[in-house]
Amino acid sequence: MASRILNGRKLFYISPAMIAWMGFLGLLILIGLISAFEVFWNGLYITNMSDSVPWGLWITIDLSSIALGAGAFTLSAVVYLFGLKRFQSIIRLAVFVGFIGYTTALLTLIMDIGRPDRFWHPWVYWNVHSVLWEITMCITIYLAIMLVEFAPVIAESKFFSRFSWMRTAAKYLHRLAPLLALLGLGISLLHQSSLGATYGIVKSRPIWFKPSMPIMFILSAVAVGPSVTMAIAHITEWITGKATIPHEILRSIARFSGFAIMIYGYIRFWDLAAVTYYGRTPSVSEAFSLLAQQTPYNFSFWVFEIILGVVLPAVLFLSPRFNRNPAYLVIGAIFAVIGIVINRWNVTVGGLFVPLSYSPGTLYQLQPGKYFPGLPEWGIAIGIIGYGLTLLTLGIRYLPLFKSEQHS
Amino acid sequence: MSKKKTKIKLELTRRDFLIVGGTAAGSIVASQLLTTGPLSPFAGFKQEQVEGVEEASTAGAGHHWGMVINLDKCIGCEYCLRACSATNDVWVDQTGEVPETERRPEKPWNIVVQDKTSTGTPFFFSRPCLHCGDAPCVEVCPVRATYHRADGLVIMNYDRCIGCRYCEIACPYDARKFNWQARTDVNPFVPTWGIPEVNRRPRGVVEKCTFCIHRIDEGLKAGLTPGEDREATPACVNICPVGARLFGDLNNPESTVSLAIGTEATIRLREELGTEPSVYYIIPKEGL
Repeated sequence: MASRILNGRKLFYISPAMIAWMGFLGLLILIGLISAFEVFWNGLYITNMSDSVPWGLWITIDLSSIALGAGAFTLSAVVYLFGLKRFQSIIRLAVFVGFIGYTTALLTLIMDIGRPDRFWHPWVYWNVHSVLWEITMCITIYLAIMLVEFAPVIAESKFFSRFSWMRTAAKYLHRLAPLLALLGLGISLLHQSSLGATYGIVKSRPIWFKPSMPIMFILSAVAVGPSVTMAIAHITEWITGKATIPHEILRSIARFSGFAIMIYGYIRFWDLAAVTYYGRTPSVSEAFSLLAQQTPYNFSFWVFEIILGVVLPAVLFLSPRFNRNPAYLVIGAIFAVIGIVINRWNVTVGGLFVPLSYSPGTLYQLQPGKYFPGLPEWGIAIGIIGYGLTLLTLGIRYLPLFKSEQHS
Repeated sequence: MSKKKTKIKLELTRRDFLIVGGTAAGSIVASQLLTTGPLSPFAGFKQEQVEGVEEASTAGAGHHWGMVINLDKCIGCEYCLRACSATNDVWVDQTGEVPETERRPEKPWNIVVQDKTSTGTPFFFSRPCLHCGDAPCVEVCPVRATYHRADGLVIMNYDRCIGCRYCEIACPYDARKFNWQARTDVNPFVPTWGIPEVNRRPRGVVEKCTFCIHRIDEGLKAGLTPGEDREATPACVNICPVGARLFGDLNNPESTVSLAIGTEATIRLREELGTEPSVYYIIPKEGL
């Protein structure tokens, strides 16, 4: 009896630091809710998006958070399909982070569409030709897969310990893991690349229209996704002071990410040289010179995307001098994430900056599409970050994310 | 590890054979059933939906409505823009301190701009929705809110649009606009340039030029010929003081549009994209 009470106290004891942290996250969510109310009440008119730049910060957040959630399917495939069982201990965290990433994207999408009340239309009115339809379906299915993958963890948490049948059900559900990993891999490969195809198929926009777009999107997601999970495990360990996942495993994941980032960097270079430079068309040249003249595109590409987003993480993840120190691994992951976010921003906003060219005489009849996010857009972004961090904090605190398989 | 080396024998038991064979045969049957067979989720809409054609899309089959714009005749008076904005009640930007006569829609359905030929001769260029035969906007719409009709028109279903704005991004001609807010404005072109004939679109959906579809459909019912009878012809064509715009059935070799295309040098915008626009331009005499 006494031990049960002790356990209970331990579980529900909340330190002052935790209260301050949760208060801070609550503030972020409050900012998000106020902005969401403003947007729902007034319409998207209050954002800085316009008919020439109809997509902006929110789409960047969608694309980034889905890419950063890619650790879930990559690591599930590594464990259940390629049979590298020693990575088992990180699966739960990876799926949880993936779940946060995908729900983040869906929440932002709800804000972004003009008719949130019709969010369900893609599931009823199919357009099998639309990549956006395919992405919607895949994201929904994949979210369901992650929920089933994650259900055993929830069933194992202390809240449900009085229901023994839940554990039994969870055990059976867990046997589905290889099948779920296979499904998750297929669905993820589909939609992660289709996010790139969303831009790659738009033939009227010169700097988007190329077949390398889906490849770069999926490679960057597979490369950076697992390192996010790795960094979260390290940071959790620093904060809670408890061992989470063996450092050897985390280092292996960092090295995997490092190699994958190098492959991404290579494809990125091939794209720059072969597709964009040697294979350029006049309209591509015009578009890039316009971007170079009027926007910080070149600077952000070379500094944030390539040097900080590809070269630095690759060195930190692969060089034995650095990758034995968790601090360097976390720094590498942070810069890799920045690289992804800046890349998605550059693709979206850079592509829309270049005006369409269709008039029979003049090259650019229209003005370049100027865009910088407005206050409500930043507010939603802050709220979304608050949501993600709250879920992460609560999950780490109350769910058995770091329990190894043998115990159950 | 090396001690464990064993000879690999290919032993196929009857059980293995049945499992492998059964799985293979089952997969073939399942794939057939799911793709073309009765279990297929696609079977129901093979014809209409896969083609991107809607239920109501057979309306006016046999026709192909098109427009010819004579760049040599256009004087840039913007009457077409005003008549269009009045007839279709298009949103007008009232934030600026522009006198009422000079106000124009923020992004009208129908634009008129000044352009230059390669030799520097100015001319006026106007652009409605081009109603492409292979429209990028139709392809990308995740909910089939925009679709092809059998008579060549690209139509919006405002009740289905979710407002994702992908069509706006995919349209090569910048012909689409989004309703960023609920409409409360007073349309300055009404009643001088016409009376609204369609409802205002709600907040959060994308809209574009319809070739005045309401006039075409009603006109055909009344036995009129769009392009010849004014009641069945788009407002922009009717109002043009110099006859720079022609409208009619591209499928009918005797229609004014077909005759114009047959006798004059015409181009279509960005033909290299393969969008097959239904709007043809007669180029200026000096060439482009």
